[in-house]
This record gives sequence, structure tokens and C-alpha cells, in this order.
Amino acid sequence: MKITVKRWHAIAQWQWDTGKTDDNGDAEEDVCGICRIPFEGCCPTCKVPGDDCPLIWGECSHVFHMHCLLKWIGTAASKQQCPMDRRPWGETIAHLSVHTPRNLDRISISSDRREKGRRE
Amino acid sequence: MSVVYSRRLKKELQEIQIEQADPTKRAAGIQLLQADDLKIWFFSIEVLGESLYKNEVFHLMVRFDPEYPFKSPAVQFVVSDKVKPPVHPHVYTNGHICASILGDDWSPTLSVMAICITIQSMLASCKKKELPEGNDDYVRTAPDNPKKTRFVYHDDTV
Repeated sequence: MKITVKRWHAIAQWQWDTGKTDDNGDAEEDVCGICRIPFEGCCPTCKVPGDDCPLIWGECSHVFHMHCLLKWIGTAASKQQCPMDRRPWGETIAHLSVHTPRNLDRISISSDRREKGRRE
Repeated sequence: MSVVYSRRLKKELQEIQIEQADPTKRAAGIQLLQADDLKIWFFSIEVLGESLYKNEVFHLMVRFDPEYPFKSPAVQFVVSDKVKPPVHPHVYTNGHICASILGDDWSPTLSVMAICITIQSMLASCKKKELPEGNDDYVRTAPDNPKKTRFVYHDDTV
């Protein structure tokens, strides 16, 4: 079966709030230092991004996919240290942030398409 | 390779190949010679500029553990008729290297290129060409894979 997407209309976008922002104040697109996959994707062992494959924040402020970090911490070689700075790993609570409509504009493919969406 | 994390190594290889094709991005003196699969890669390493190893070219062999990047790769200099390992206080004549990032200080956030650069700078900062203490004894009894050796890291200066 072949499916062609003719039109799509974004309702919402979510993004992990890693606390890092780029020059425009938008969340920086960043990758997990262990698997090198963007935070918004999921770790290599998962299929679907989101709550089931969360991020984990260390007290040292470094962020990883939780599953990647736990796999590392589970090895004797890790000595229970953060892979970035080798300080003892201690975790803070993960938080999911739902972004405001400002980011919704960005998700539309083109301004033309967005116009159509508004008229409907 | 824990199949899922092999994607990371593929990505590293792609990035290295892109960098090698672009002289502005390429790490000077480090060249990928061979990477036919995700098990074993070869690099050539030379120290550019003034150093004890001027005009010498070395070959590095990198063998990946199935658990990479959670376990470090096995890294050693190639010893053959054509290439010799550098004479360096941390490099044995069988090509094995005593460097903490290849053992106790490995981190899964390091990469193959980071290892190559560390080894290059280890050569660049060398003050005196000499063999490691106990080289002959070590080489006589060393395992094929340097990862099976328990190195003691005692020198933080190079």
C-alpha cells in the first residue's frame, strides 16, 4: 500500500528542556553523548521517543538518554561516574516541557501551507 | 557489537570520511587507511611540526569490542616490515600502548578520533625517545590483545 501525504496540520510539538538554548532562545538541537542520537529521538534500544525513553540529568548538569546512561553506570568500568566529567553520578529529576505556540509556527512546512491551515 | 549501538560506530565512520575529504576539517597528520567493517580500522598518524618524530609515519590498528562504546576499543601501533611503532616511553616494541584513556579512563563519550588525537599529542609532547621500562619482559609475555593487559598508569606528564 502506498500512502501519499497531501497535507498535514501540526497541533503541538514537544521537546526536552535540556536547559540549553541557542542564539534565538530556542532549545539547542543536541545529541546524547553516548549514542550520538538527538535527545528528541530515542536511545538505540527503543523504538519510540517520548516518556518511555526519557532523558536523565546529572547533578553535574550533564544530560543523556536515561537508558544509555544506565547502561554505562551498570558497567564496572564506569566507576559510577558521569561519562563527561568523571564526577560521581548523582541524578536530578527529569522534566518534560511542552512548548508554547511560538514553536508551532516553526513546524509548518512552508508559509503557504500555514496560510491554508488558517483559512480552514 | 551490541547491534543497537553499532549505529554510533557507523556514524563515526561517516563523519571521519566526510572530514577526510575536507582539508579544512581534517585533523592534520591523521588519516583513515582502512575501515572495511565495524570490527577493525587502520589509521596513519604523524606528528606535524617540530617533534622528536619528525618525518616518521606510524600506523594505528583499532579493534572494536562488541560492547563499544561502553568498552574501549583495543588500540595499538602496527608492527610490520613496512611500519614500526614509535620509540616512546609508553609504547612497547610490540605496538602496545600504555594510555589511561584506553583502559581505566575510557568514557563512552570519547570517540575513535579523540583516541587518535590523544595518541598524536602523546607523541608530540615526548621529551626523550626511549623504550618503556621492562619492555623486553612485557613483549615476551604480552597477550595478543592489549586490553588483556593490566597497565599501571603512573605518569601524567605525557
